[in-house]
Amino acid sequence: MWDLFKAELLRLRLWTAAYALAHLGVLVFLARLVDLAQQPLLVYRVFGCVYALSGLLLGLYQIATYRRPATWLQLLHRPLAPWRIALALHGAGAVLLLAGIGLPLLLTAAGQALLTARVVDVRHWLLPVAAWLIACGLYLAGSYAVLGLRRAALAALVLPLIWLTGQASGAAAIAMQVLVVAWLAALVLIVFKPDLEAPPRRPLAVAALALPLQLGVYVAFLVLCFALEMLWIVQGSHPLNAVTAPAGGAIETDRMDGRQRLLAGLAASDDPQAALWREQVALADVLSVGGQIDRVLPRQALTNRAPMELDDAERRVRWVFSHDRMRLEGYRLTDGSRVGELGVGGDAAPFAAPALPAGTLPGLPRGDALLIAGDTLYQYGSETGRVSPRLRLDAGEPLAGVQPLGDAVAALGTQHLYVYDGRDAADATIVLTPRLRIALPGAYGDLAAIDLVERVDGYLVSFAFTAQQSRPHGALPYQVVLAVDDGGRVRTVARRTIAPDFPALYRYRSWWFSPALYALRTAAAERPAVPDPFQATEAAPIPRRSSRWPSRCPCCPCSPAPCCCAIVPCRRRHASAGCSPARSSAFRRWSRSGCCTGRTSGPTRQRRRMSRRPDRSRASPRRCDLARPSSPEVSCMVSV
Amino acid sequence: MSESEYVIETTALRKRYGRKWALDGLDLAIPRGRIHAIVGANGAGKSTLFRVLLGFTPPTAGSACILGRDSRCLTPADRGRIGFVNEEHTLPAWVRVEAVVRMQRRLYARWNEGAFAEVIGHYHVLPEQRVGQLSRGERAGLNLALALAQSPELLVLDEPTLGLDVVAKRAFLESLMYSSAAARCTVIYCSHQMEEIERVADNLVILEHGRLAHMSAPEDFCARVTHWVADVPFKGPQPAGVPGLLQLQRLDGLHHYLVLDQDETFGDFLRGCGARSVQCMPVSLDRAVNGFLAKNHAAPAAA
Repeated sequence: MWDLFKAELLRLRLWTAAYALAHLGVLVFLARLVDLAQQPLLVYRVFGCVYALSGLLLGLYQIATYRRPATWLQLLHRPLAPWRIALALHGAGAVLLLAGIGLPLLLTAAGQALLTARVVDVRHWLLPVAAWLIACGLYLAGSYAVLGLRRAALAALVLPLIWLTGQASGAAAIAMQVLVVAWLAALVLIVFKPDLEAPPRRPLAVAALALPLQLGVYVAFLVLCFALEMLWIVQGSHPLNAVTAPAGGAIETDRMDGRQRLLAGLAASDDPQAALWREQVALADVLSVGGQIDRVLPRQALTNRAPMELDDAERRVRWVFSHDRMRLEGYRLTDGSRVGELGVGGDAAPFAAPALPAGTLPGLPRGDALLIAGDTLYQYGSETGRVSPRLRLDAGEPLAGVQPLGDAVAALGTQHLYVYDGRDAADATIVLTPRLRIALPGAYGDLAAIDLVERVDGYLVSFAFTAQQSRPHGALPYQVVLAVDDGGRVRTVARRTIAPDFPALYRYRSWWFSPALYALRTAAAERPAVPDPFQATEAAPIPRRSSRWPSRCPCCPCSPAPCCCAIVPCRRRHASAGCSPARSSAFRRWSRSGCCTGRTSGPTRQRRRMSRRPDRSRASPRRCDLARPSSPEVSCMVSV
Repeated sequence: MSESEYVIETTALRKRYGRKWALDGLDLAIPRGRIHAIVGANGAGKSTLFRVLLGFTPPTAGSACILGRDSRCLTPADRGRIGFVNEEHTLPAWVRVEAVVRMQRRLYARWNEGAFAEVIGHYHVLPEQRVGQLSRGERAGLNLALALAQSPELLVLDEPTLGLDVVAKRAFLESLMYSSAAARCTVIYCSHQMEEIERVADNLVILEHGRLAHMSAPEDFCARVTHWVADVPFKGPQPAGVPGLLQLQRLDGLHHYLVLDQDETFGDFLRGCGARSVQCMPVSLDRAVNGFLAKNHAAPAAA
């Protein structure tokens, strides 16, 4: 086994050396230009993709050379257990990947730590490990793709997708990588046997292979859905790329400006003052509030969503947040020499959470900057060279963003919208206390827009919850308008139910194909992760059977009601119910006109009349209701 | 494990690829000792048989045992008792000869350095050479030397001289024939080269369409096939009516009949069909096997 391992190392040593040198050269070149430890997520993803591709190609090439029948026979026909041969070959592959990918990264990190004043935290030392594990995972997936059963060969490629969809960070992310790599290694060991066509027989082996296989089918289905959606877009009737957004829908709401959104919300209000407010909204300045942070940043997360650094232009110093020290560490932009450490207040206390730059506010001295760390907003004073807390939200509620709101300052948390007096904002010594605290009338993850107008005695605030309209885990779109007075009293003046632009079939496509795999996928993505309040949603109940679906078939009296979108099942069901729908004049009319047309029988027509979009259905009578939200046909298909 | 009387034993062995049967009810029992040659036309199922026997392809039906063990349950120890040399002589091209030898030496408990030296001495192979730098003949020799040095109980040679020139072929055969290690094990020699088989084989196994068509000593098989030359002044007997006919040719006005299992009475048959003179001649193994295999070879319907 040891000899095989050495022989395999020998085989690819030159290629690996060339790859490692080129890799190191690229890293050193980039490190000269930028701080590689403080790059946005996209950069890390690009690097990750390159490592994944390298691993995949190595796996495909190395094992494919042994896959020819004569070579395979020569390799495995020896007094050595197949798993030991597999271990020797793949162990060599893993070492080569370590040399080509892990080592240059490690050298770069070491160079940065020893030769520069840049921040190198524990999380940065973990990056070479993560990169190596990514490459190893795809290497094993490539190996399995060559050796595995022909129909299941690509199934192993599904497992690394968990890394893309997963939300784990730091050590948990490494643990997830190790888990997937271990699983892939088990798959390779299972198929690494003389008879490559023989399916696994032991229950554990069958289970280990069955799950990725089923996930593969699931992913293939989602890819098919994506392809169909592309066709839908090409065809030009997709709600998102249609010239006019569907009337009364979430996309239309998203495309409105703040004033239009407020007016649309008030139109649904039966409050006696609604008419007056509408007039006010038409004349007043409409302000919008948004967040600057969309995900919680756990300590020692491997990657940044954005660079965690701020520049003091006056002093020509760059302050970079260190996860190890939980403080800012500075170096001069002129010569790169270390300046020192910056904590909170005079005693340079550590930050309670990783701090991200949050821009500035009007009125702040030039050169000052804001930092958001967990529930607290900090201000970096360029004159004093100190960081001081400026506001803190309630009970550890994460702060999403801060921005001016007319003369006031608004801070958006994951549960409340806070309004502060703007006059105190400029004074860095004052910790702001909220003037108003408005509870969000929904989950932060569903929130798409906050618009407000100032009234004489408070605010009129609109919250549009349309962000998750096409995803099963979010709320169905709706809008809430609140009237808030200066005393902090909040009154709901309107709640508008917004029509989803996509049918339930589309929204729940990832669920209905396999609720079990959907649950598994969700659990694999979310369980190892730190709970993220920014992603919290209020999932609408999954429609099992639409209450609007008639209990009787619209075209013949048999029961249960058929699916009007699927003529064959409909006929079969009719036949099994012992009736002959073909004799029904309504059924004949329906068959002639095609499925889901405007010319349907009584109950359907009645439902359309009640719809908010009669013009659309009349304008395109032959259009399939797949593109129509809340259609009974679609609901029926989901329930089927 | 009790020693089986046969090194290879198959019962109603069948293997199907798509709609085609590569092995079709093969019943074969090869006893221990000696050199057994397996011949057959392309597609007769020889390589498939070896793949099934070594556990690299599952049989569709029937059973296959090698050294008394079900071929689907071969252990690493069993594999250590079976040497295998294929026609491609696949060895890692990037490894030096000395490294390959070192690897095999560690791997096989019964490694026989003398046997290795005895065989490799027929070739000019240097230890520091990489396998990729060896000629095809040298690689074949190295493979044979490695296989014999393992001291196998059974050595399977699957067309080992394919693609070798005359000199390399001769060197290979001599190293096999004069190796003391080869004398101690059972050798299964698969080849299309009848002159090689004539030289080395003690037993001839003919496979045809995945079935056992014949098994005997080569000279016994030659004795079964006879070549008759008859001077027939006219058309001669219909081929379908000629008993045991393998091949019929008409050259220079003479009818050449290659027949199986016919004695002197066949001469009487020809004379009865109007032959003015009849002559019986022995045939070489090559001619006998070719005639035997050509009889049922596929041909277009119009032919």
